[in-house]
Amino acid sequence: MSAATTAPVSGVQQAGATAAAAPADQAGDASDSFGNVVVNALQGVQDTQNTANNLAVQAATGNLTDVHNYTIAATEASLQTELTVAVRDRAVDAFNQIMAMQV
Amino acid sequence: MTIFPAFDIAGSALTTDQTWMDAISDNLANVNTVKPFDQPAFQERFIEAQALPSNPGDPVGVGGGVEVASIQYGDSTGVVHSDPGNPMANSQGLIRSPDVDMAQNMTDLIIAQRSYELNLSVVQSASQSYQQAIQINGKS
Repeated sequence: MSAATTAPVSGVQQAGATAAAAPADQAGDASDSFGNVVVNALQGVQDTQNTANNLAVQAATGNLTDVHNYTIAATEASLQTELTVAVRDRAVDAFNQIMAMQV
Repeated sequence: MTIFPAFDIAGSALTTDQTWMDAISDNLANVNTVKPFDQPAFQERFIEAQALPSNPGDPVGVGGGVEVASIQYGDSTGVVHSDPGNPMANSQGLIRSPDVDMAQNMTDLIIAQRSYELNLSVVQSASQSYQQAIQINGKS
């Protein structure tokens, strides 16, 4: 890839670097790449969905004490998924626009 | 900390309202529970609500919602009245019925129900706001 492709993407990397600062670095330089940021975000989504799933099991088995706890957790999980998907879509869109550039 | 604090705050209020409704339903369920004169009468249940401190990471100054701090109990003396025909009545024909104000409990039930509804609409509005934020400048 040429310098022309990396320049616009550096804005995304910059934003990603702050978001990825908290989780432990696994692969040195690659830790703040966009892919890792998405992976970390997906882990958060997974946690939220696990909470919602546990509550769903409780609802099915009759152990759910508060109905709203499940519905709120489910809403939170779906919103967080939507957010992650939106972030991915924007990034892929930006990448595609750069790839479509005439050289 | 979650990325949607409004949900947790409204959720805590929903839990509190639900506990309040539980307490009221217990009061109303026992409104006719009589006891012999030498035993304590049914004690009316009250919930004590308390504001929660803000969750770490949430905006400063915004609290963390509400919780039930404790359940308080009313007077165990109840209302002593004469009902000689009751099998539980003592030699003077006295029994204890609970000191539960039914009208007050019905009013509280309506307040609790409306409060629950109110916090549900907070959840709905927050959900809509977040959804609109996600769709800023989106293609679809």
